[in-house]
Amino acid sequence: MKKLSVLLLVLLLAGAMFAQGTKESSAFKVYLITMDQMDQHWVNVDKGAQKAAQELGGIEYKWLAPDVKDDAKQIESINNAVAGGADAILLAANGPNAVTAALKEATEAGVTIVYVDSAANFPAVQTLATDNTAAGTTAGKEMLKALTDKGIKNGKIGVISVNSATASTVARETGFRKAFEGTAFTILETQYCDGDAARSKDMSANFITQGVVGLFGANEGSTVGVGNAIAEAGKNIIGVGFDKSDMILSLIKSGHLLATMAQNPDVMGYEGVKTAYKALKGETVSPDYFDTGVSVLTKATL
Amino acid sequence: MMSALKRPLKRLLAIRGIGQVLTVTVGLILLCIVFGIMNPIFFSSRNVANLLRQIAPILLIGIGQSYVLITGNIDLSIGSVVGMSTMISATLMTKGVSPLFAVLITIICCLALGLSNGLLVSFAKLPPFIATLGTMTIARGIAQIANNNYNTDSIGESAQSFRDFFYYGKTLGLYNTIWIAILLWIVFNFLLTRTKSGRHIYAIGSNAEAARLSGVNIVGTTTKAYLVSAFVSCVVGLITTATSGMGTMDAGNSYELYAVAASVIGGVSTLGGQGLLFGTVIGASIWGVLQNGLQFAGAPVAIRNIVIGIIVVVSVLLDVIVRSGKMTKKKPV
Repeated sequence: MKKLSVLLLVLLLAGAMFAQGTKESSAFKVYLITMDQMDQHWVNVDKGAQKAAQELGGIEYKWLAPDVKDDAKQIESINNAVAGGADAILLAANGPNAVTAALKEATEAGVTIVYVDSAANFPAVQTLATDNTAAGTTAGKEMLKALTDKGIKNGKIGVISVNSATASTVARETGFRKAFEGTAFTILETQYCDGDAARSKDMSANFITQGVVGLFGANEGSTVGVGNAIAEAGKNIIGVGFDKSDMILSLIKSGHLLATMAQNPDVMGYEGVKTAYKALKGETVSPDYFDTGVSVLTKATL
Repeated sequence: MMSALKRPLKRLLAIRGIGQVLTVTVGLILLCIVFGIMNPIFFSSRNVANLLRQIAPILLIGIGQSYVLITGNIDLSIGSVVGMSTMISATLMTKGVSPLFAVLITIICCLALGLSNGLLVSFAKLPPFIATLGTMTIARGIAQIANNNYNTDSIGESAQSFRDFFYYGKTLGLYNTIWIAILLWIVFNFLLTRTKSGRHIYAIGSNAEAARLSGVNIVGTTTKAYLVSAFVSCVVGLITTATSGMGTMDAGNSYELYAVAASVIGGVSTLGGQGLLFGTVIGASIWGVLQNGLQFAGAPVAIRNIVIGIIVVVSVLLDVIVRSGKMTKKKPV
């Protein structure tokens, strides 16, 4: 009985090793790790990545993400991916320095890193993202143009953003403020809503009470709140925002939002997987930064 | 004249827990004056209307958390129930369900969660922190799968009456949201102060064992408190759907903590058995005034968080000091 069980154990181990061996040689394991699982933005990155994985073939693709945006949870996801035998990780880093330790361990384990949407302060093969600063400036310029077209040359402007740490939204805000440098407009102290559309609406309403002529939302939730507040106030305030969703599009159609900067998350996922594949095959990848761009959606373009 | 005032004044001051309520009321008035001086727009009619409407949801969740705190427990699932409520109601409405049905179904789902909370804590005797931590995660999960891991589409033009009822409409000059909060406060305050169940809620919080020996139904009473909490969270979720015109999966994030803050600032004891729902009104108002006033004052977010945190800590400290003081005070022979 003992000999039989030892034999079975040896066979089992051999089988496992053999199975592992065949897996390793047939497909590249590519993991996508985003900030959370909920935002439609990440769902679209995943869709693009899945599309590329299917087209290229020879890729075992998986989407890993914490349920909420949390640094410790993202580090855990990275470690899980490495432990799971990842060959490449597509990462949307929570912050520039939050997860670098985990990335260091990953690269030491031989994992290829590609950044999608948000890069970290750690070398990687390529970063595919919206140039958020440039996109923010575009948003600012749209607002400025609309204001000057109406003959408004000065006044207060309100900004609703997510928080003070997320690199992408901070960059959009910086870019937005840049567009107003040298003008007679004052941009008030930014209010942070954590992406909650209802809180954004309250904060926007407070800005409207202060007499702003323009409002900027730095992500989907912020923008929905801005649009709702402008709709309620019934005043002619210029609202510009970020991201695309059914609610935002309907606010543009009804004229309460002027424009939104729609990112291309599916392009990030699609091209990101292609880049990872190239890198894993040993080909050189360039450029270091791939701007996936924004489309300016207005009533006219819808 | 003084002697005529003395008796009702003495009766007022004899109400258990009134001390802190009076203190924070004075604090609220001072806060309003300070913010008004810093930026007179604070007192404009537009802002007062907005401010009251911003306070309403905090008051509602405060009522729920106060009920639970008075029983000596806590409800950490409040924020997730708000999220669950907004996602279920919005998803149903985007799929063509009439707002009335959507509201009814949402209320049933949230009450089911409240029932679970009550039974887990009182029947299964799980520590309330753990039990509601679990249901918090479950409720947030339900909020996520309600629309298949997406935020919902716009609830559409047909839901305009729903949006007006819960948020955008006014009745007799005040936003409906404010009326909803006032009416529900009147109901729940009556239930808490003038009914047997209400007295039982205080009894359990004061001394659960004595209450049980006196024949108080612990399971029934605790469950009632959690049902109240789930109900008001559901209403806030509906208000959120009406505000945004859509459902977002992370609505209500951290609201349970704001509810604790509003209750605690208002004098509800975290040790159970003590607290006035009127205090929760003041607590919620202070919270709302801080959020609103600090924005007008141009304060950076970090300052706001620190200020709010300090006020909460001081409130709890006051409660603990006063309680321990009362216990060691010797009665004159």
